[in-house]
Amino acid sequence: MADSAKSTDRSARLAALMARVALGDQPAFAQLYQETSAHLYGVAVRILKDGAAAEEVLQEAFVNVWHHAGSYEAAKSQPTTWLAAIVRNRCLDQLRRRELDTVTMTTDDDDGKEFDLPSGDPSPVEMLLAGAEAQSVRDCVDGLDAGQKQAIALAFYQGLSHAELADHMRQPLGTVKSWVRRGLERLKACLDRAGYVRN
Amino acid sequence: MNLSRPDRLQRLDALASAYALGTLSPRARLRLARAAKVDGTVAAAIRDWEMRLATLSEGAAPITPPPRVWTAIATRLGLGAATTASGVDLPWWARVAFWRSFALTSFALAMAFGVTLFSPDTRTPEQPIVAVLAGPDAKPALIATMLRGERTLTVKVVGAAAVPAGKSLELWMLPKDLPPKSLGVIPDSGMGRVALPAPPDVVLANVPALAVSREVAGGSPTGAPQGPVLYTGKVERFY
Repeated sequence: MADSAKSTDRSARLAALMARVALGDQPAFAQLYQETSAHLYGVAVRILKDGAAAEEVLQEAFVNVWHHAGSYEAAKSQPTTWLAAIVRNRCLDQLRRRELDTVTMTTDDDDGKEFDLPSGDPSPVEMLLAGAEAQSVRDCVDGLDAGQKQAIALAFYQGLSHAELADHMRQPLGTVKSWVRRGLERLKACLDRAGYVRN
Repeated sequence: MNLSRPDRLQRLDALASAYALGTLSPRARLRLARAAKVDGTVAAAIRDWEMRLATLSEGAAPITPPPRVWTAIATRLGLGAATTASGVDLPWWARVAFWRSFALTSFALAMAFGVTLFSPDTRTPEQPIVAVLAGPDAKPALIATMLRGERTLTVKVVGAAAVPAGKSLELWMLPKDLPPKSLGVIPDSGMGRVALPAPPDVVLANVPALAVSREVAGGSPTGAPQGPVLYTGKVERFY
């Protein structure tokens, strides 16, 4: 209860900051950065596994936020959701671009660029569950089959593609694809029932 | 066409979800991104999925980014002195505390010097614009003067502002909410004139203060102050 009240407060405060940023308010922008950058950097580092690349994405994302804060609509999403979507999207673009630029796909893990995550970092599935802020969303995630949950969590928090998931989970590509697809369909139906996405 | 539409929407939803989750192959990702640019339905499907999935992203423990990220953002956007993110290293000209320490003494000094610059002949007022630059000891070190109708800035070392060997003193405008802009290097003789591109009212319209920093000989190579700031002073208009 107290937690959800706190998170509503925070959302309202961040939404107010976003509105001021849209008007070119520099101190508001600095405060928005201060309040959200660590979360967003955490998201980027986990997907890119490369501190320098994550810094670059964070920089691009906030430059983008400064110019486009006006396109944020408080009625449609939480500010943190909107910001996380921007960062995730940029991370994925960079990750896939990197793959396109590489002639042979390397699945090598020790290319020296690995970012040192805090020790005891929870598993992707744990993060997926913990990340669901509302109980209703948590229930939706929890309701997925183990394979679906695992595939979605790995893709979500570690930026694995279908092919990489198949490799990582030692399953045929088709199986993994259908886990992801079915899992997402169920998630969507459940989230929409819970009224999570506001259009 | 109508019959195929529900199928198409389902396919689109599948693609959009994989796009937002990030599992699409690089090429498929590019194709869909291109489609989204020209087709609002595609863009909306992707956006919905991005929002839906981003609601789950709180699970990653926060990691504080290095301070250089904010510095880079502020530099790229040209954010000015008013902007500070606490716990973040900012260049000297962007620090609020720095300003507080100088503003008051500089103002008092400028008033004192400014008075002597008033012409006794009130029929042809010279309308001077003056900045008295002082260091942390509040002793005036340089005076920059302009006349409202002339496009020249004169700067004169009045104190013990000796130019260190192999270094140059560089004079900067400190515009509000923008990074410093160079007015030029002060000649070793300690007296210099700068031709202004426009009348002082225009050039200094958004410039509440001037500063002098110590730079490598010939001035900062980057166009932004690199060395320590030695003197600052408020721009005072006497008209």
